[in-house]
Amino acid sequence: MLTSLLTVFTEPLVCILAALTHNTDPLHLISRRTGKAKSSEDPLSGRASPESNQSPERLQRERSIRTNRRHRFINCLLQEDIDIAALRKLAWQGVPNDLRPIVWPLLLGYMPLPCPLRSSTLKRKREEYASLVEVTFARDRRGLDQQIWHQIEIDVPRTRPGVRLWMHACTQRSLERILYVWAIRHPASGYVQGINDLATPFFQVFLSAYIDSEVEDFDPTLLPSNVLSAIEADSFWCLSRLLDGIQDNYIAGQPGIHRSVKRMAELVARIDPPLAAHLASQNVEFMQFAFRWMNCLLMREISVRNTIRMWDTYLAEGADAFSQFHLYVCSAFLVKWSEKLRQMDFQGIIMFLQSLPTQGWTDHDIEMLLSEAFVLSSTWHNAQSHFNGK
Amino acid sequence: MSKQFQFKLVLLGESAVGKSSLVLRFVKDQFDDYRESTIGAAFLTQTVTLEDQTTVKFEIWDTAGQERYKSLAPMYYRNANCAVVVYDVTQSPSLDKAKTWIRELQRQADPNIVIALCGNKTDLSARRQVTQEEAQKYADEEGLMWGETSAKTGEGVSEIFTAIAKKLPLTAPPPRTATRGAAGATGGRGVDLNKQSATGQNEPCNC
Repeated sequence: MLTSLLTVFTEPLVCILAALTHNTDPLHLISRRTGKAKSSEDPLSGRASPESNQSPERLQRERSIRTNRRHRFINCLLQEDIDIAALRKLAWQGVPNDLRPIVWPLLLGYMPLPCPLRSSTLKRKREEYASLVEVTFARDRRGLDQQIWHQIEIDVPRTRPGVRLWMHACTQRSLERILYVWAIRHPASGYVQGINDLATPFFQVFLSAYIDSEVEDFDPTLLPSNVLSAIEADSFWCLSRLLDGIQDNYIAGQPGIHRSVKRMAELVARIDPPLAAHLASQNVEFMQFAFRWMNCLLMREISVRNTIRMWDTYLAEGADAFSQFHLYVCSAFLVKWSEKLRQMDFQGIIMFLQSLPTQGWTDHDIEMLLSEAFVLSSTWHNAQSHFNGK
Repeated sequence: MSKQFQFKLVLLGESAVGKSSLVLRFVKDQFDDYRESTIGAAFLTQTVTLEDQTTVKFEIWDTAGQERYKSLAPMYYRNANCAVVVYDVTQSPSLDKAKTWIRELQRQADPNIVIALCGNKTDLSARRQVTQEEAQKYADEEGLMWGETSAKTGEGVSEIFTAIAKKLPLTAPPPRTATRGAAGATGGRGVDLNKQSATGQNEPCNC
């Protein structure tokens, strides 16, 4: 039975909807079998989760808000032809974890909106990726672009070091293929360090569709190979879509990043003049810290969980959010620490900005940041001439 | 009263030769087998105390190694007093890359910059591709300091930074340098001023 269900679920992005409405998601079977299930009850000890310690009224209220949001999402997703505007509006406020593997591909335009096309499109795109991989790696390693391959080979083992999922050889081989195939298809940029980071949220989100346990602790060799291939292919195509919008960041001279950092400096000078003046007086250049913020989309500054929540909004914002809206997010992010920064000298500022105290950040912190960025973007986005003096 | 100096140091070299690991060993005496790649550059500081109680504080910019980030490097080496150019003793091509960096520094950086060539990963002796003789010969020809390190075991790490510290400040007249060193410490800048007076005394030896 497991086998037949899994066959169905090599196309979970389509079928998961049906499973959701009937609450019979068979993918949970995989994690149950591994004994690593993370449901509200620990399957091994039978103990209830810590959630039950909270007050029942509050729990109920939160649960009902969540349930309402879920219903609105599900209603939207069950349309024959999904209303993308409605979906964007919902997704801006955050996507429920279990629906994200369907919502992201829809927002990215990877999965078509009309229901009848979805299954065949996914099948075709996954086959296309599989044949890209086959052709690319048909010969042995000597057939590869040595410079690109070398860089990928040394970066993959140090992608999310210490996280079990990413330390598995199986995940690392997937990531190598994703990065290499993307790189040779985009010769103007090739592989640039930091793109490896950007692949990880997609892989984790798509993996989460198939398992019930903690994604970052999961051993992907437990998955049937066709499921793993589907996750890899979907990650590849979605990463490609994201990078399409920010390719300027990675071509020679990285003009996209230079432009964004410059605009960020101009914007901060407008929205927080004392901070801008202080940074200038300490000879701090925005490029010294904000380069990384643009290059890795803040992934080195916040957790992957935070990033995933942030991308819900970015994807809802649209294709250029990863360059345009991100600039406002980075500005809001910097200004958040204004008071502290204004009391620091050069060394203090740089050291603080490269290890920001965001470890405890929750979805709420990210949502505050996104709201602040939205206000900035509404105020300044069509007023560029005001702040760049042109 | 002991003398205090502050200098800007930049680390350059190919990707994954161990620049960040070298700094982490020097600054925190730690080592991780896998560390995330450096994006842009990372900033750290560490102070070295010499035998005569002179203290030398290094402001270190640890740069990213990938070729694509090359255009950022001048921002980090332009005011640097010293540079550590790192290669991996188990990867011959990384020495070629180090030589490219050294040529760029000789052309573009402060003419008085002190450059040290550093062969890292000596713990992987079975996989060595670059001999000590080869690297040292090149360093001598170019008038560079040279040393080998293992960020993993710590071997040679403090030695190379201490050697740089010794080579750096003591060429300037002590009273002036001390004053400016202190000013530099409060302002976070200004250390390169004492390099002016050192001109001509700090020529690399041409053995």
